[in-house]
Amino acid sequence: MLMATADSILGVPTPCAPPGNGLLILLAAMTPEQLERVFASLTASFPKEELLIAAPDAIADALPADSYPSLRIVTAPASNSAWTLTAADFVSAYQLAEKHEARAILMLGSASGSLGSSALRELANAVLDPTDLALPCYELPPHAGLINSAILYPLTRALFASRVRFPLAVDLGLSLRMAKRMADAAQRFTAINQGQTPLWPVNEASVAGFAIDQFDVNPSVQPTAPELNTILPLLIGPLFSDIKAKAAFWQRFRPLPPARNTMPMPLAPTADTAADIAPMLSAFRLAYTNLHEIWSLVLPPNSLLMLKRLAATDAAAFRISDSLWARIVYDFLLAYRLRTINRGHLLGALIPLYLAWVASHFNIIASGSDPEGHIEAVAAAFEAEKIYMLSRWRWPDRFNP
Amino acid sequence: MKKPASATDPLWYKDAIIYELHVRAFADSNGDGIGDFPGLLARLDYLQDLGVTCIWLLPFFPSPLRDDGYDISNYVDVHPSYGTLNDFKSFLDAAHQRNMQVMIEMVINHTSDQHPWFKAARHALPGSAAREMYVWSNTDHLYKDVRIIFTDTEKSNWTWDDTAKAYYWHRFFSYQPDLNFDNPLVMEEVLRAMRFWLDMGVDALRIDAIPYLVERDGTSCENLPETHRVVKTIRAAIDADYANRLILAEANQWPVDVRPYFGDGDECQMAFHFPLMPRIYMALRQEDRLPITDIMAQTPAIPANCQWGLFLRNHDELTLEMVTADERDYMYIAYSNDPRMRVNVGIRRRLAPLVDNNRSRIELLISLLLSFPGTPILYYGDEIGMGDNIYLGDRNSVRTPMQWNSDRNAGFSKCDPARLYLPVVMDPIYGYQAINVEAQLSDQSSLLHWNRNMIALRKLFQVFGRGTQQFLNPENRKILAYLRDLDRGDGSHETVLCVANLSRFAQPVSLDLADHNGAEPVEMLGYVPFPTITEAPYVLTLAPYSFLWLELQPPSGKPA
Repeated sequence: MLMATADSILGVPTPCAPPGNGLLILLAAMTPEQLERVFASLTASFPKEELLIAAPDAIADALPADSYPSLRIVTAPASNSAWTLTAADFVSAYQLAEKHEARAILMLGSASGSLGSSALRELANAVLDPTDLALPCYELPPHAGLINSAILYPLTRALFASRVRFPLAVDLGLSLRMAKRMADAAQRFTAINQGQTPLWPVNEASVAGFAIDQFDVNPSVQPTAPELNTILPLLIGPLFSDIKAKAAFWQRFRPLPPARNTMPMPLAPTADTAADIAPMLSAFRLAYTNLHEIWSLVLPPNSLLMLKRLAATDAAAFRISDSLWARIVYDFLLAYRLRTINRGHLLGALIPLYLAWVASHFNIIASGSDPEGHIEAVAAAFEAEKIYMLSRWRWPDRFNP
Repeated sequence: MKKPASATDPLWYKDAIIYELHVRAFADSNGDGIGDFPGLLARLDYLQDLGVTCIWLLPFFPSPLRDDGYDISNYVDVHPSYGTLNDFKSFLDAAHQRNMQVMIEMVINHTSDQHPWFKAARHALPGSAAREMYVWSNTDHLYKDVRIIFTDTEKSNWTWDDTAKAYYWHRFFSYQPDLNFDNPLVMEEVLRAMRFWLDMGVDALRIDAIPYLVERDGTSCENLPETHRVVKTIRAAIDADYANRLILAEANQWPVDVRPYFGDGDECQMAFHFPLMPRIYMALRQEDRLPITDIMAQTPAIPANCQWGLFLRNHDELTLEMVTADERDYMYIAYSNDPRMRVNVGIRRRLAPLVDNNRSRIELLISLLLSFPGTPILYYGDEIGMGDNIYLGDRNSVRTPMQWNSDRNAGFSKCDPARLYLPVVMDPIYGYQAINVEAQLSDQSSLLHWNRNMIALRKLFQVFGRGTQQFLNPENRKILAYLRDLDRGDGSHETVLCVANLSRFAQPVSLDLADHNGAEPVEMLGYVPFPTITEAPYVLTLAPYSFLWLELQPPSGKPA
C-alpha cells in the first residue's frame, strides 16, 4: 500500500504537510495502465522531488505498493467527466490546494502520460512562477480536435486576445490565485447542481489580467469525447454563456500577444484516415431544407444566400469561406444571448453548419494545404469579423445585411 | 362635349404628387362593403390636405372582377358596385376644383373573356374582323418561347377555347384574352374608349401592360417595334384633340427597354422606373448604395418633356422580374422569409411591413422617393404606414380597406363586417385600431403629418421634379449622396444636396463639393444654415437612417 494521507473518518483533522515544491498534482480517473505512464512521467519530470498527488480512491488502491516512493497520494473526489475539466473539478482543485498549502496545481487528464516529462516539467515550472495559467499545445492528427479548431480557439482568440491553441485543455497548470479564481467561478454552477459544466480558464485569466502561457507537448491521444450531437451543445452553450457574462471585457479591442515561434505540426493524414465528407454534406443539405426556418431567424440574408449556394455546390468544390463561418458563429452567439429561439434548438441547428465547415476543412487539407495554416486563417477571420459581431451585439436588429 | 384640360401647364406631371388608389378600397358611402365614387369624393379634402395633385384610379370599369378589375368587359362605363358614370363625373369635377388631376387605367392589352368583343369573337368565323379582335392559333406552338408572367397560376400563354375551336393568346390570366393590334378595328375601339374618358375631362391614361401589345413569332413578344407604332398612333391621336394630357406606360422592363416608350417625345410622357424600386430596398437592407447607383447609371436620358414615375409600392407584388437571379434570391430571403409573402415573381407586402415598421426606414425611403428625379407615386395607405394581410389570396394582401379611424370596419364602411369586399387589417401592430387616419391627424408626430410636411416641402422646389441628378461617390458606401440641379433659365440655378444614410448606425461622410465652393448650404426642413462649402472635403455625420436635404444657396457675402 502506498503511503497515503487520508482524512480521518472520525473527523479528527490530520496535519497535511505542504508539498515539497509547492506543487499539487490532481489526477483524473484513469486506468492502471494510464496511471503507470503518468507516474513514470512525473517521476522522470521531478526526479529529486517528493510530489503530492491527489487522485480518486480507486487509483490510490490500484497501484502496487512502494512502486513510486517519491509520490505522496491523497484522496480527491473523482471527476464525472473524462474529456473536459468541469466546475466541480476546479472547486476540488482549489480546496485541495488550500488544504495542502500548495502554491500551484497541475491538473492532468487520463491521457496525460503521453505528454512527456519535459512538458510536465514546463507546465509545472510555469505556474510555480510566474505564470498563472499554463496550457499544453497538443499535437493532434489533422482530423482531431475540430470543434476546438472551428469554434473554441478562434472565438477565444478574437474575444479574449489569447493565442492559446487549446483553451479547453484537459491538462493544465494553475497558480494558486488562478485556482481560486476558477473555484469562485465554479461556485456559481456547483451551487445549483451544475457541477459538470465546463469552465473557461483562458477567459477567466484574460479578464483577470493573469499571465497565460502554453507549451508544446508530445503527440497525444485525447480522451474519447461524447458524440457530436451531445458534445457540441455541451461545449458551445457554456462557452456562449461565458462570453455573454464577460461582454464588458471583450467589447474593447486588445492586442494579441506575439505568435509563438514554434507550432506543432499536425500528424499527416494517412490513407485510412482520409475523411469521407459525403455524410457531412448530406447532413448539411438536408438541414438547409429542414432547418432553413430556424436559420433564417438567426442568420442574415447575405449568409443565408451563401448557404443556399453552398447547398448546391459539388462535394469536390465545397468550401465555406472563413469570413462566412466566423459570421455564422457570431450570429449564433448573438441568437443565444437574445434567446431568439430555444437554446437547445439553436445549438442543434448549429451542428449541420459545423459539419459543413468540417467538410470544407477536409477539402482544404485534401488539396494539400497546411491544416494549421487554415485554422490560423479561420482565427484571423474571427478577429476581422469581430466588428460585425460587436455592432450586432450592441444594437440587436434583425434588419441587417 | 369635350371638357378642356384641367391642368394649364403642359408639363404638370413633372411637379405632380400622384396617389394611387382603388375606388373599392377607399371609402364606402352606401354601406354595401365596397368603396365607391361618392365615398371617394367625400375623402378628397383628405387627399388635398395631404398634398396630392393627381389621383390614379385602378380599374373601375364593368368587369367580372376575377383580376380585381383588370379584366374589363366594358371600357366606357363604371362598375355598378362603384357607382354610376354621373358619380364618376361628380368626382372628376370635385377633383379638378381642388386642382387635382385624375388618371385612369387603359387596359388595352387584353379584355375580360366576358367582354362582348370576345364573346363575339369566339363565335365568329376565323379570319373575320370580329374574330380577329383577338389573337388566335390552331396550335399552341406559336410564340412558343415567350415567358409566362403569372407563373403561380398559368402554365401556358395559350388556352384552348372549345367554342372557337382554337387557342387564344393571353399574357396574363387565361380569362384575359389579348387584343390583336394587328387588326385596325382594335385600334379604333381603343381610341374610341380613350376619347370617351378624355372628353369627360380625364387628365391621364395609364397604359397597362404596354410591352405586350403586339406579338411576332420568333421574338419575346415584348417591346416590339410594332408595339411602339401602336403607342405613337395613340399619342398622336390624343395630342391632336386634347391638350395637357398624359400617357403613363406600365412597362416592367430594364431601363434601356423602357426608354423607347418615350420615343422622341412622341410616345408616352411617363413610364414607371420598375428596376429602381427593388434596388432601393436592396440598398437599404445591404446598407450599400451600389444597387441604386448602378441602376441609375444604366438609366438612359429621356426626352425633355418626359418623366420617370417613381414608386416604393403599388397594388401589385413588389416585382422582382427586373433583377438578377442572385438579387432575387437575396430579396426573397431579406424581405419575405414566409413563403406566403411571395406571389408570382415578387413579394406581396406593403411598405411598412417590408421594413419591419421602422419609422426611420420608412421616412428614409420616402425621402428618396420624393427627392429622386421623377414623379413620386404614393400607394394609398402607405402615408399612414398601413400593413398587409398575407393570408388573403393573390395580391389582395395589399388591397385591404383604407383605415380611416378605429371604429367599425376602420371607418371604411358602415356595413356588417362580414360584407366587406376584403377584411380590414386587424393585427395588433398594423390593425386599424392602431393605424388609422383619424389618430394620426391628431398626432403631430405621426407619419401622416410627416408625409404631409415632406410633400409640401418638395412642392416648394421644382428642382425635385424637373432637375438633373448627379451622384457623389464618397468612400463610405453606406451613404447615398447626390446633387439635384435645375437651371431656372435666367442664369440662376436651384441646387439641392441630398445625403442619405442607408445604415442602421451613425455614419461619417466626406463629400467633394469643391465645384460648389462658396455655396451656403441651408437644411431645408428647418431652414438651418450649415457651414459654407470650401474646396476642402465637406464632412457630415448622419444619424441612423437619416437624410439631409441641403439647398446650396449662393454666397451671401456675409463674413464667415
